[in-house]
Amino acid sequence: MSSDLPVYDVIVCGAGHAGCEAALAASRMGARTLLLTGNLDTVAQMSCNPAIGGQAKGQIVREIDALGGEMAINTDLTGIQFRLLNESKGPAVQSPRAQCDKKAYQFRLKHTLELQPNLKLFQATVTGLMFSKGPSGVRQIVGVHTNLDLDFHGRTVVVTTGTFLRGLMHICQNKNEGGRMGDFSAKTLSASFLEAGIELQRLKTGTPPRLSGRSIDFSQMEAQRGDAVPTLFAFHDTRDPEPMFHVEQGLTGREQRLGWDPGTEQVPCWLTHTTERTAQLVRENLHLSAMYSGEIEGVGPRYCPSIEDKFVRFADKPRHILYLEPEGRATNEYYINGLSTSLPFAVQVEMVRSIPGLERAELLRPAYAVEYDFAPPTQLLASLESKLVENLFFAGQINGTSGYEEAACQGLVAGVNAVRKGRGESALIIGRDEGYTGVLIDDLVTKGTREPYRMFTSRAEHRLLFNHASSELRLAHHARDFGLVSKSRLERIEAKRARIEGWIARLEASRPTVGSGVGQGTWADRLRRDQGRSGENGLGGVELPEEFLALGDADRAEVLYRVVYAGYLERERRHVARLQDVDKVRVPADFDFDAVKGLRSESLAKLKAARPLSLGQAGRISGVNPADISILLVHLAARRRTGQG
Amino acid sequence: MTTDSGSADGDDTIAALATPAGTAALALIRVSGGRSRVMAAALFRGDPAALPERRYRHADYRALGGEVLDDAVWSFGVGPGTFTGEDTLEICTHGNPLIVQLVLADLFARGCRAAEPGEFTRRAFLNGRMELTQAEAVMDIIHARSERALVAAQQQLRGGLGRHLEELIAALLGVLARIEAYIDFPDEDLPVEDRELVRTALADVLRGTERLLATHRYGDLLRDGLKAVLLGAPNVGKSSLLNALVGRDRAIVSPEPGTTRDFIEEMVHVGPHLLRLIDTAGMNPAAGRVEQMGMAKTVERLSEADLILWVTDVTQASADVPVELRPYLGADIVLHVRNKADLAAGVSGGMDGGGFSPALPIFTVSALNGTGLGDLRAAIIARADALRPAMAGDEHIAINARHADALRRARESLASAAAGLGAAIPAPIELVASDVRGALDALGEVAGRVDNERMLDALFSTFCIGK
Ligand SMILES: Cc1cc2nc3c(=O)[nH]c(=O)nc-3n(C[C@H](O)[C@H](O)[C@H](O)COP(=O)(O)OP(=O)(O)OC[C@H]3O[C@@H](n4cnc5c(N)ncnc54)[C@H](O)[C@@H]3O)c2cc1C
Ligand SMILES: Nc1nc2c(ncn2[C@@H]2O[C@H](COP(=O)(O)OP(=O)(O)OP(=O)(O)O)[C@@H](O)[C@H]2O)c(=O)[nH]1
Ligand SMILES: [Mg+2]
Repeated sequence: MSSDLPVYDVIVCGAGHAGCEAALAASRMGARTLLLTGNLDTVAQMSCNPAIGGQAKGQIVREIDALGGEMAINTDLTGIQFRLLNESKGPAVQSPRAQCDKKAYQFRLKHTLELQPNLKLFQATVTGLMFSKGPSGVRQIVGVHTNLDLDFHGRTVVVTTGTFLRGLMHICQNKNEGGRMGDFSAKTLSASFLEAGIELQRLKTGTPPRLSGRSIDFSQMEAQRGDAVPTLFAFHDTRDPEPMFHVEQGLTGREQRLGWDPGTEQVPCWLTHTTERTAQLVRENLHLSAMYSGEIEGVGPRYCPSIEDKFVRFADKPRHILYLEPEGRATNEYYINGLSTSLPFAVQVEMVRSIPGLERAELLRPAYAVEYDFAPPTQLLASLESKLVENLFFAGQINGTSGYEEAACQGLVAGVNAVRKGRGESALIIGRDEGYTGVLIDDLVTKGTREPYRMFTSRAEHRLLFNHASSELRLAHHARDFGLVSKSRLERIEAKRARIEGWIARLEASRPTVGSGVGQGTWADRLRRDQGRSGENGLGGVELPEEFLALGDADRAEVLYRVVYAGYLERERRHVARLQDVDKVRVPADFDFDAVKGLRSESLAKLKAARPLSLGQAGRISGVNPADISILLVHLAARRRTGQG
Repeated sequence: MTTDSGSADGDDTIAALATPAGTAALALIRVSGGRSRVMAAALFRGDPAALPERRYRHADYRALGGEVLDDAVWSFGVGPGTFTGEDTLEICTHGNPLIVQLVLADLFARGCRAAEPGEFTRRAFLNGRMELTQAEAVMDIIHARSERALVAAQQQLRGGLGRHLEELIAALLGVLARIEAYIDFPDEDLPVEDRELVRTALADVLRGTERLLATHRYGDLLRDGLKAVLLGAPNVGKSSLLNALVGRDRAIVSPEPGTTRDFIEEMVHVGPHLLRLIDTAGMNPAAGRVEQMGMAKTVERLSEADLILWVTDVTQASADVPVELRPYLGADIVLHVRNKADLAAGVSGGMDGGGFSPALPIFTVSALNGTGLGDLRAAIIARADALRPAMAGDEHIAINARHADALRRARESLASAAAGLGAAIPAPIELVASDVRGALDALGEVAGRVDNERMLDALFSTFCIGK
């Protein structure tokens, strides 16, 4: 190819949830970005259920918004049902969740990509990677080959190909190649990874059938409706105003981005359940299931079992709950949550019809399982750059995760870090004490995963600090340091922080002067005493100052959370502070572990393999003990002192 | 960067034994970090603002509970002019490991934590008090030592301690899974949440943790001292002997037989050992009701004794070993003390001749004028020394101060979790979870880090999760 072709700063391969965030983050930072995807009509497609958020995932989406990403606002504007999960529990474990209009979600995001300056969108399938030997002898990526025989050159490449690498779909004996139904399989790309010495393994996941709504008898089901007051994902109180419902300025003609006023005209989901007949069908046909007959070698997730798994592993549980989720406003298609299977199609039909309300249901699409290659993420640095190929980044399902939100937050981080790498700047690494995004990436690169990795709040040891509403305050310093949100938004965030902290100080210091609270300590003391006793507005019996009640909902909730839970949050922060001592110490990417005297050979081998980028990460590698960390700390300090670091 | 201060949290204060553990006559315990000053002041009754610097002072080391653990020499140094560059308190005690462990446990209770291997050196280096080469040399030594410690710890964990801990951890993982399932899967079709089950399971783990702390003999010894029971017929001079060993009049002494009706306990240092001397009511075959009851209690105490001093009166005809003592004769823990030597000149020590099997070592003493007490003390020390390996290697369980520190923190977290669940307005469940996790982390410090994956395993195998 001729050498006067443009060289992109960042090339992103695959416009799934990871790829979209990566491309947006990179181009918004000013990098010349190319987003290649096999099919422009499936940009940001939700391969499985039409929902965003939920436990831990909802918090991730809010973190994405705090870091200038797109998933949150896109969900708010195309959501058709919003619910706050765990409302009866404390704020730390409450999570927003939304049903989305699947097509509106995709189209709006595609439109956003199209309008994004510095970003070029192009439909082509990446078939191979181009490498060169870098100056240090390390393999470097320099571009990609495509199925159109067009090559593209880039300083950095982010791979976000999801379930498409050698994707193989199973319905009983029936096999089709593809990353998801109706889509292609990226068959040759895997060879490029293997050539570069990158190891690949197989995972599997599954999806339930889709039904035609008019064939469903909803009268036999219980409706599950959205919250009257929706909890949204984006921080609308600090974000720059989003031109959304009207013809946008600067757009030509009558072009209009899809979307609607968040929370309006919500639609219900529907609850039903399996029956004894369903169980019997599963048991009788178990030998035909692709997963039970040994057709599939990939490892599936424990938390997302097929209906076969459920009846086999929990044989004593007579029935399982199923949710029918609408796929959108402009379609009659329903997703039946809870009925993943790889049984033959005929059995699927019988099974569906054994369910109350679905006696006459028509299937629009069958359930199936998909197997795909993933690249074990322990082959990555904490920046998501490959340890084996310089300037090559990985994000999303290819790293062994599962879920749109998990993919999106990785995409964002990889996009940022690809730009930073190209500019020779330090990487964005979010701490385990700063957010779920940090926990996710650290778990992946430090421990790896054997099943599709999904986030749970329990994976975060500091989850009490991770209430969804605080995402923006927790991550603002990164957003500032890496230029991810506008100056004016940063100012609004800091003003919000000041308001919240100011009010906490006031409630801690001053006492009620009138009313029932007089003589019972400060406002804060009273609030803590009333903890858990919930009044109409969640404030219990405490009559708070008028001025405080006039504060915005978000601010007030954050103040109350931090006051009422002060003791626990303080303990958590102390814990973090103790860990930070070592956690915040960076290990340079080129650090020579061999030069460190006194490391045990076992530790040395593990450290060299894992190549941790911080001492905290080093400490979490199994087999590396505190004495090793002490020794490393001393060496790193010495290096800095002599000016090598 | 936070690293140049050596510690992000100026309050993070560490303590550890600085001299090699074990045999030395004196032990140096070093405390380093921001809290050293207040701790020194609290321990040795000083004004924190006006502590004498770099001066060696003699004082009793009094534990939080008020008991004197040892007479210690201490000195306080202000950072950065110290080894670590931080405020440092040094405490020199007798080299007896029991005392050292006791003092360390007390320092932990006062808010220090156990130093990690090499942490003093690390702080010294980071605070610019040491050259790299020096630091490396020290690190090498530390590493070798921590390697040995690791091997020792692994051996311990393979034994009873490991088994017990593993049971507790497994139970606790089950508890946590039961809590987490309802936090992380609120939309799942789970059985009705059973907090009562969680409470009972938590209570079980709490009991188990307490048992581990309490049944542990070494821990008892740390807390209570070595138990030495004084036993004998009325009026032979048991109380007098206790007073003589303690060095002051603690027990009432009278020529009336049956003076002592209940136990009198007194802590006393005998050489490097901490001894809990227990005076008892005299053993009288023809006793009244009250005395009978006293005697019954005495017999009970015998089973806990580490050492039994059987006291007789030299002026009386040679006594038979009381039947109550028979079970302990083979255990090598009984010393025969013949008192009132001043009244019968010419009687000498040795082994009791025939009649007893096996023969008991005899000490002829006078509580009144002190004759023979030196020999008796020496024999007690020898006995206690001989007991030590048996304590440490006890096949039952043997934990060190670090383990005990961790177990105590686990107990605290568990108690807090239980309190949260049981409160009139129950604490939000994620706070209970946070306490349970705290307990798991603490147990994990002894048994090896407990990965969250294990909780998830428990969760997914207990509950049918997944839509
Ligand atoms: C059948 C099925 C069931 C699932 N079930 C669940 C579930 O139950 N729960 C859950 O949390 N998640 C589930 N998922 C996973 C979820 O869809 C993914 O985690 C998420 O979409 C991953 O996002 P991603 O951006 O990494 O990849 P994807 O969303 O898969 O996007 C990959 C994108 O890359 C493009 N692409 C791929 N290869 C190339 C190439 N060589 N060149 C150019 N473009 C390419 C594709 O066209 C696509 O747009 C399921 C997925 C599938 C397919
Ligand atoms: N001469 C002499 N008298 C002693 C000696 N030891 C104890 N006595 C005396 O013996 C009497 C009894 O002493 P206690 O110490 O009360 O004896 P005890 O064994 O505690 O007696 P009970 O408590 O009644 O069982 C007192 O009058 C003491 O003064 C000794 O070594 N020499
Ligand atoms: Mg007496």
